[in-house]
Amino acid sequence: MRVFLLLLSLFSLALAQEGPPPDLSPEVFRIARALRCPVCQGESAAESNSGVAQEMRRLIAEMLKEGKSEAEIKSFFVDRYGEWILYEPPRRGVTLWVWVLPFLALALLGAGVFRYFRRPKVELDPEALKRLEAELEGPEETP
Amino acid sequence: MTPGLLGGLSLLLSLLVSLAGFVLALLAYLQGDGRFLKGALRAAPLALAFAALAFLALEWALLTHDFTLRYVAQHHSTKDPLWVVLVTPWAALEGSILLWGLLQTLYTYLASRARLDPWRRSLVLATLFGVQVFFFGVMATIANPFEAMPNPPSEGMGPNPLLQNHWMMAVHPVLMYLGFVGLSVPFAHAVAAMLTRRYQTWVAETRWWTLIAWGFLTAGKVAGGWWSYEVLGWGGYWAWDPVENASFIPWLLATAFLHTAFVQEARGRFRVWNLAFVTLAFASTVLGTFLTRSGVIQSVHAFAEGPVGPVFLGFFLLVLALGFGLLSRVGREVGEEGGLRLFSREGALLLGAFFFAGWALVVVLGTLYPLLVEAFTGAKVSVGAPFFNQVSLPLGAGILLLMGVGPLLPWRRAGREVLRNLAVLLLALAVGFLAGLLRGYTLGASLAVGLFLYNLAAVALLTWEGLQARRRAGLSPWGFFGQRRRVGSLVVHLGVALAGLAIAFSQTYRLESEKTLYRGQAWEVAGLRMEFQGVRALDEGRRFAVEALLQTDRFGEVRPRLHFYPQMNAPLAYPRVVYTLGNDYYFVLMDFDREKGEWASLRLIVTPMVLWLWVAGGVVALGTLYILWPEARPRTREAVA
Repeated sequence: MRVFLLLLSLFSLALAQEGPPPDLSPEVFRIARALRCPVCQGESAAESNSGVAQEMRRLIAEMLKEGKSEAEIKSFFVDRYGEWILYEPPRRGVTLWVWVLPFLALALLGAGVFRYFRRPKVELDPEALKRLEAELEGPEETP
Repeated sequence: MTPGLLGGLSLLLSLLVSLAGFVLALLAYLQGDGRFLKGALRAAPLALAFAALAFLALEWALLTHDFTLRYVAQHHSTKDPLWVVLVTPWAALEGSILLWGLLQTLYTYLASRARLDPWRRSLVLATLFGVQVFFFGVMATIANPFEAMPNPPSEGMGPNPLLQNHWMMAVHPVLMYLGFVGLSVPFAHAVAAMLTRRYQTWVAETRWWTLIAWGFLTAGKVAGGWWSYEVLGWGGYWAWDPVENASFIPWLLATAFLHTAFVQEARGRFRVWNLAFVTLAFASTVLGTFLTRSGVIQSVHAFAEGPVGPVFLGFFLLVLALGFGLLSRVGREVGEEGGLRLFSREGALLLGAFFFAGWALVVVLGTLYPLLVEAFTGAKVSVGAPFFNQVSLPLGAGILLLMGVGPLLPWRRAGREVLRNLAVLLLALAVGFLAGLLRGYTLGASLAVGLFLYNLAAVALLTWEGLQARRRAGLSPWGFFGQRRRVGSLVVHLGVALAGLAIAFSQTYRLESEKTLYRGQAWEVAGLRMEFQGVRALDEGRRFAVEALLQTDRFGEVRPRLHFYPQMNAPLAYPRVVYTLGNDYYFVLMDFDREKGEWASLRLIVTPMVLWLWVAGGVVALGTLYILWPEARPRTREAVA
């Protein structure tokens, strides 16, 4: 193990270790997946292995043990980091529109598609109609 | 001659030849002179040759550890294994733009060989050369892969460790670029069609090119998902990351086009939409590059950031302006409202295109929303997987529903004879849904089972009808399987149905937990028992690895690892995945006792049906390949059955 440590120290500076990490239940990951890792490039707190994400998972596990609900845990993180931490944008305020816009856009697109299913409007020139009728009647007038 | 000199020179020559090709092709169109066209045609292989030379020069520099080049010094080290050296050109920005440029010259060359009337041929060439000028211009100015290093180091930094952790990295980017770049050919055809006002004939040729690009895009996405699954250590294959989204959008639009193009070939409708889909698909690949490379959006793909963002944004706007400027004229000249029946093949195809285009729109909105909010209000918001999953569910289900019934409906109007088929489909849907509920699956998963059986029934019915029709006509029924386009699309649909099932189950029933085990301690999760027997250290030269030894009751010894790279201060997880037909068992070593090796912290992720997602990807690829097989290439318009 000593060689092992030596090698490690060559490769990694982050050697300080506080002890074994806590056990995490599937519930912890389910909640962490809805939270953004504050320091990562577009990863959730469940995916990332950064120190912050690990700490977040530990906190979630602790709060679950204390009997806190999912909503309470989420609001704890919102208090700390703001609503930006939530991967599911709340359906109010400035993020309400991200839920509404797709519907509007789809409705607009739907209206475009609908035009294809309308019956075509056949508009004939009234004079041409008169002429055609006259032609149809023609032979009978001159037997 | 040094690699840097050769590369720089080749790049410049490729740029000049592309520029010459662009001017000659434009002159050929404007003057109506075949001599100019001949000149432009000659420029295509020449540009390809110089681009290839530039690419080889970069490989040469990497193989000879030429650290006088900035790119080599920053993304290569003498310790890299050979395969990593060979794929290093696309490990970072400048090199990947060079690969993009190389593939662009290849497509331009191939497209220049296709037989077209001289008018459109000149315009197709002019558009493609224009795109080439852009890419080589970018390389010649702000993203030069052959930029010299003032004080060359004696050892380089090596590529991003994430990229050298899995062989899939050799495959995924190339497939993606083949797909992205491939969409420039349909775009060029669309531009040519719009300028020459040939709104009908372009579709048959373009559909073939789009299918090629689409096939590569699909394969690239599956490869990327696989890479993400096996490397990133979070046990998922799709995260709705902005860059994933950016590549999903052109895929959706190309899919929409492939379906509505079929209607235009058969019935001459949707002409404006087809031109719009192709334009948007290509424009969105450029937008995707802008999003990936500019750093405006936080993404796991940020390893390729650079100064090219604004230039790509400008190019994106140029493509849109060109496409939509021309489209506005098409819109005025082509009126095609009304007169379609919903309950017909073309009705189903149009609705399908609505779902694909709508999905693309929703993904664009969700991806750009945080950017827009921040730009206008300064507030930071996140739009992530939970949002995309919720909005995608109805769209995906709608597509799976249409995919079954659409091909069974006849053109123009459906009569009573389809009612029997519809009854069979609905029965399959109901049986699957109820069976799922009885087995205790969630509503969504049960619906997925129902939709899978429904699509299976549709493919079976279509095959049966195809065989019967040939028998009735006195032909050998097996000749049905020679109808590549029809059979290939059935195979693709089968693959998509399977993918739908795999996605629904893997998203619904994922189980993820983490536990610290002491030596000799056992852990039982989801029916799997494992015992931790200690850790082992390995020195692998360019990196240092630590393995946890796990004795499992079903798969023998499993050894998940942590990799320590000298250029990273945090270790990189290297998960071990055991695929079974039902569940995937995904072992990640998270941490271990660095003093005595007494304990290890392990994460186990159990996900159902992930294996089937890769199988589905393979099935789709095979179906696409079957349609594209040279024999089947439509020289003249194929009869539509």
